[in-house]
Amino acid sequence: MSRKSARTLLVLSVIAMAMVVSPAVVSYPTGIQGVKDSGCNCHGATTSSEVVPSIIGLPEQYNYSESYEIVVSFEGGPSSPSNANQGGFHLWVSDGELLPSDATSQSYSPNEVSHTEAGNDQTTWTLTWVSPSSDRNVEFILHTNSVNGNADGANGGSSGDMWNKLTAKVSPPVLVLEEADPFVVLSTLILVSAILLAFTLAYVFYRTNPESFTWDYFAPWIADWLTTTDHKKIGTLYFLAGLFFLGVGGIMAMMIRIQLAVPGNDFLTQDQYNQFFTLHGTTMIFLAAMPLINGFANWMVPLQIGAPDLALPRLNAMSFWLQPVGALLIFTGVFSGSGADTGWTGYAPYVVSETAHMGTTMWVAGQIMLVASSTLTGINFLTTIAVMRAPGMGWLQMPLFTWSILIANLMLFLSIPAFGIGLIQVYLDRVIGTAFYDVSAGGDPLLWSHLFWYFGHPEVYVVIVPAFGVISEVIATSARRSIFGYRSMVYAMAGIGIVSFIVYGHHMFTSGMSPTLRFVTMLTTMLVAVPTGIKIFNWLKTMHGGSLVYRTHTLWTLGFLVTFTLGGISGMFFPSIAMDLHLHESYFVVAHFHYVLVGGTVFGFYAAIYYWFPKMSGRMLDEKLGVLHFLVGFISYNALFWPMHRLGVWGMARRHHTYFVTTEEAMGALPMEAAGWNMFISVSAFIFFFSNFIMVANMIKTVIRGEKAPPDPWGGWSFEWMTTSPPPTPSFDPHNLPVLTDANEHIANEPGTLSKLFNRLMVSEEDTEEVTH
Amino acid sequence: MGVFPKHNDDMKLEVAWTVAPFILIVWLTYVSWVPLDAVWSETGEDGYHGEECEEGQSSNNQMDEIGIVTSECYHVIEITGKQWVWQFDCLDLSTDICDTGSDNVEVYGTVPLLSLKEGETYLANLRSEDVTHAPWFLGMGVKEDTLYGAQIGPSEYNWPTTLWLPIGDDVGDQIILCTEYCGDAHAIMAGKLVVHQ
Repeated sequence: MSRKSARTLLVLSVIAMAMVVSPAVVSYPTGIQGVKDSGCNCHGATTSSEVVPSIIGLPEQYNYSESYEIVVSFEGGPSSPSNANQGGFHLWVSDGELLPSDATSQSYSPNEVSHTEAGNDQTTWTLTWVSPSSDRNVEFILHTNSVNGNADGANGGSSGDMWNKLTAKVSPPVLVLEEADPFVVLSTLILVSAILLAFTLAYVFYRTNPESFTWDYFAPWIADWLTTTDHKKIGTLYFLAGLFFLGVGGIMAMMIRIQLAVPGNDFLTQDQYNQFFTLHGTTMIFLAAMPLINGFANWMVPLQIGAPDLALPRLNAMSFWLQPVGALLIFTGVFSGSGADTGWTGYAPYVVSETAHMGTTMWVAGQIMLVASSTLTGINFLTTIAVMRAPGMGWLQMPLFTWSILIANLMLFLSIPAFGIGLIQVYLDRVIGTAFYDVSAGGDPLLWSHLFWYFGHPEVYVVIVPAFGVISEVIATSARRSIFGYRSMVYAMAGIGIVSFIVYGHHMFTSGMSPTLRFVTMLTTMLVAVPTGIKIFNWLKTMHGGSLVYRTHTLWTLGFLVTFTLGGISGMFFPSIAMDLHLHESYFVVAHFHYVLVGGTVFGFYAAIYYWFPKMSGRMLDEKLGVLHFLVGFISYNALFWPMHRLGVWGMARRHHTYFVTTEEAMGALPMEAAGWNMFISVSAFIFFFSNFIMVANMIKTVIRGEKAPPDPWGGWSFEWMTTSPPPTPSFDPHNLPVLTDANEHIANEPGTLSKLFNRLMVSEEDTEEVTH
Repeated sequence: MGVFPKHNDDMKLEVAWTVAPFILIVWLTYVSWVPLDAVWSETGEDGYHGEECEEGQSSNNQMDEIGIVTSECYHVIEITGKQWVWQFDCLDLSTDICDTGSDNVEVYGTVPLLSLKEGETYLANLRSEDVTHAPWFLGMGVKEDTLYGAQIGPSEYNWPTTLWLPIGDDVGDQIILCTEYCGDAHAIMAGKLVVHQ
């Protein structure tokens, strides 16, 4: 048995290795560096100290955009005036522009100059360097080649020739710090976070039971986590993965904000910036939001419906383990220095064009794995909720969080095939040269947009609807009464689910899609406001007349109501097409979707963390730290995203690595104060980013020495509050499932609304009263 | 044993806040609908801008009280996006009506320039030579994607997308940015629109 499983493991790891390695071969050709690192195509095998290169005429500090005449020369080596040829050079500069002064040298690019054939017979060359117009630390790399000119000799060719290298540095007028490669910063930060995570886990492991802190105990512990099929443990894994990638996506957002803090910044190159915003989007949606949701869905759905586990526990484990592999593939491009740079939407034909980075292939491959994972998750949850509800629990007696997961998975299950198909087409286009998106071969430039947004719009609802579920649970519990309009909540969510499939065209109002279709999606998009409005009003009415308990999860819920409503209102600008023509692809859009995705989903799931953490860990979170997290987070969050609306209206376009402010009146461009707002946004972004560590610290502190949690700390009604905290495994005894009774049961025997209406038409109530008198 | 809590609902209230927002969005839709006919105006009799101008003919733009411009005829120009530069083409219009060139904008450096005449209406055919771009006329608040393949192949999408540019007296000089992500130098793919008398 063990040999068999070892063999399976071997085969699987070989397949995994092959998947990781084989496409990387395709992406290799971009990785070769130029002459500046490897040495020149000089004659002679190695460097020689006999050759002494020099550059004369370089200032210590340059002035902006000034021309400097520089003289490049060398001494020593076999070169002598009697030789047929005397030598050559190659000069590379990091910034500014190099120009040949005469026919003895030639320019390869603004950064590279070398000698010509006419300049073959000298040891001194004159050049012009135009300094950059901004502050840069400029580096010069010079290669000189001393030649004995024995081309026709017995030991002909380049034998006996020697070369050497010289580097020189020139400072800018205003001194700047040496630039760090942002990718090095990113990977260092990811590495540090991963190590910290490992240490934290080890520490938690140690503190829970100091005696058992040995490998003999640790090995089975880790093996248990790696092979578990228990919905609670997989939920925890999802949860940790989601938080980790929330941090990684956050780090990328911080790099983006450093870049945008001042106009015309050069912290990131355009190339790096394009990769950062692409991976920020992909990470946040697919690797942070979805796993966080799945974490809570895994934990809570079986508990809420009174099931021992999910219907297909092994499939569940597979859904999870596809994610880290997919994440690895998505990031592979970054590690090779050319990650995907297509935006998370990956529009064709750019995504299949030659100018898109090689890493895009890996990014697509990784997302295909995530599609597989989501499909399996969909099957699992739909099955579980359909067949494993506890006795007595009808469809309309399910807790609202379970309803939200059901609807989200239904949407995902129906929309994600379109995305999968699109991704596979792009993958084939990029790898084996099919022509689905090759327009010159008859491909359709809009096909990808349709496939992507047919999935993409339901996807953003997949991310927000579970947050609705959380908010419904928390608000009802905190207001200590049942949710107002339970049935209309369910119908509203279902309505959002249905409408989500027919609104996606609003992402394509400027795309050249048929105006008829644009008009139709304008109408349907407006409709989304109705079911969402119902939910907001129901939540408000639940609180009205209730007796609200202000715990941390209540605060996050109230915060959610504010920010999500604001995000919803800013969303109503887009279906008005004439408005959208201006706002499309501007920072107004960025502000809107961060208001609904951070102010909606993330706030919703922060509420979920504070609400369900005692159930999951068996320990109560620290309320003081929680309130601090809420206050700092909520204020900095609004300071971060609110000013973006204004920037968007002013004309700041998204996906631009830089922006410029201008004093030129009436240019329709960004005014001077936009720079101040951007700095304000960047500072707020850092505060918001670091405020989240308060929550992480709170969780670590709680797990180690938190107060023990009772089974039902908040007074909820559903099944998860009836087991112990943390719940046993299996969560409920399969032979002794809990039973749900309905407090509204007696109503079932009373006449419904329709029959009441008929009754009223037949005999008026006064008549009946008179009879009884 | 669990108990599903007692319903807490009020049919009248719930219907009220279903119907009221619905009425609100019907009104919003109606309001949003009004400028659409002008934004996507047809050419010819039914449209706002008539037929293409004869040589020497002027559009004589008239603006109504809500800002919709109607004209007697329009001029056709062509805007081409390619990585990473805009190309403006006046086709066979006289330099009095439409002119191109280049200009130095503070910070963006040398950018292509499109000079249009106040009081005239232009229909821009948008083309691309590689991937999708979108010119954003910042001061006019309009943009539209340029699709590659605008003149090749049999697909129904292989027509150029178009953009109406009615130059009223409220339109000033402005920046043109690219607002459909197109690769490395996307952010600095700019142009300038100048309005002359």
